[in-house]
Amino acid sequence: MAEYDVTFIEREEREARFLIRGVTPAFANGIRRAMIADVPTFSIDTVRVIENSSVMFDEQIGLRLGLVPLTTPLGDFDIGDEVTLALDVEGPGTAYSGDLVANDEMVEAADTDIPIIELKEDQRLELEADAVLETGRDHAKHQGGVAVSYRHLQGVENVGERDEFADDESHIIRGVIEDDGDLIPTEDFGNDLTNRYPDTEVKVEDVPGAFVFHVETDGSFDVDTLVTEATATLRSRAEALTDAVAL
Amino acid sequence: MELRVIEKGDTSLSIEVAGEDHTFMNVLKGALLETDGVAAATYDMNPEQSGGQTDPILTIKTEDNTDALDALETGAQRVVEKADALETAYNTAA
Repeated sequence: MAEYDVTFIEREEREARFLIRGVTPAFANGIRRAMIADVPTFSIDTVRVIENSSVMFDEQIGLRLGLVPLTTPLGDFDIGDEVTLALDVEGPGTAYSGDLVANDEMVEAADTDIPIIELKEDQRLELEADAVLETGRDHAKHQGGVAVSYRHLQGVENVGERDEFADDESHIIRGVIEDDGDLIPTEDFGNDLTNRYPDTEVKVEDVPGAFVFHVETDGSFDVDTLVTEATATLRSRAEALTDAVAL
Repeated sequence: MELRVIEKGDTSLSIEVAGEDHTFMNVLKGALLETDGVAAATYDMNPEQSGGQTDPILTIKTEDNTDALDALETGAQRVVEKADALETAYNTAA
């Protein structure tokens, strides 16, 4: 039955662009939504301040800490699991996300250079924080996928020469085009079809069932993990439904 | 997953699916519409603006020779197959 075909256009650890063929709009949207809201990540949720003589209130520091992406090894934890982190920085200097030390070495700040607060002479920030594994549905700070979207693959077809006296207008499009089986990101020709097909009349049409996904994670895990886990949440819900119906 | 049957006939079914939102319901609805023997399938997230009711209600109507509950099972199975197929395709490309 369902037969999909995936082709990568760009592929890095935290960001990727890939084409899925043969997918229905409903399923494409389901994966997108699952990537945003249903794949859990660790985020600081409770902070116990031991000393805060910085210029910011505890609550402000707490908010900033919550937004720090933490690496999340999903196989080893369940939703609701907690990890404790500690931070102790004395001024003058800046407290960075990299100064957070967890009691579990698998969990750490995904980026170590996020400033939490700048401390002056005699200022100090010392605290303990509990990070909890939750989903983006619970709070946006738990979103693993920060920029997840898709658009149709656009087929470009050459339909003859452009009218000799036609206006010299640009033809801006974004995304990925398919020309004779080749996949070309529109950035390659400045997003302007007239650069790629000068003096040519072209027809642009969405290719049915072909979606180009753009996925970017916050560093909690790589793109592969995000896609696989999002698919797994859909599957586990469908399995739970099958079981519930069978009863 | 908690289900509560609201109405059940031979070829029709209305069922409340607790704790789900558009993410799963729309995928399921899409899969049901592709399933043989299903005449109509839809879901409503906020039925008749009923104060506070936000769990989706799935409604299925089937052809004469298909039981609605069986169709739901087939539809759910289809979502599992789709998820498997996507994972395989992704890992092949990766």
